[in-house]
Amino acid sequence: MPDGTIVGGWSYVIAAYAITAVGLAAYFWSLRRRLKQIHNED
Amino acid sequence: MTRRIFGVRTLGLLGLGLLLVGSYFGLFVAPAERYMGQVQRIMYVHVPCAWIAMVCYTAAFVFAVIGLWNGKPRWDARTTGAIEVGAVLNALLLVQGSIWARATWGVWWDWDVRLTTSLVMLLLFAGVLALRSFVDDSDRRATWTAVATIVAFVDVPLVYFCVRWWRSLHQTQSTPETVSPAMVLPLRLNAIAILLIAIWLIAQRAKLERERLRKEQVDEPARVTAGLEVTDA
Repeated sequence: MPDGTIVGGWSYVIAAYAITAVGLAAYFWSLRRRLKQIHNED
Repeated sequence: MTRRIFGVRTLGLLGLGLLLVGSYFGLFVAPAERYMGQVQRIMYVHVPCAWIAMVCYTAAFVFAVIGLWNGKPRWDARTTGAIEVGAVLNALLLVQGSIWARATWGVWWDWDVRLTTSLVMLLLFAGVLALRSFVDDSDRRATWTAVATIVAFVDVPLVYFCVRWWRSLHQTQSTPETVSPAMVLPLRLNAIAILLIAIWLIAQRAKLERERLRKEQVDEPARVTAGLEVTDA
């Protein structure tokens, strides 16, 4: 193994993917909620 | 109209499916990078988010120019949608990049030129969205949004080229010739996936903006009739 290689690091990878999934899902649900809200106001 | 929305929804669902497949390849099939090891797998979501955020901002710039040109409200709605989705991806890329920085550079943040211009890009476009909320008149709001979007867009090419123009901790752009084919596949799959999802979200956000405008136009005569509108004597 060459010097300077990062060992492990799965926790960082999982955190990055989880934040991406949660971020996209949260934005999607916020859009749905705002659309429903504006339709309910009619 | 229903058919068009269904078409965009199909794109979004296709994007979600592709994102799952691309992430599977990125997490479990692509090899670990020689020096960064497993941490490099963050690239398969970080780089597509960066690319598509800039695509969204570029689309917003084009929509803003068209909107200024013809004054039709649907271009203002599309501009708003592209800015908001771009800002979400921009925020995600900053968080992913921060996680990557902590693992590889040992710090969560550095005032490096690429990181700084990316943060400025988010703040500029968030500022455009904030500006919209201060303007009640829909025509004026559309004009101000378009002009502010064109001004904010100046930072986008700066973000892309800064790593070539100035010394930066951040690596310069890779090309398929310098990256293993096993790494190119998940990168491309996720880029296409996030592009499709972004188109879906922009269409939804533009629809919301059109609904808001329609509601404003319906409510406005009612407010005037009820004597709620304050006008100059």
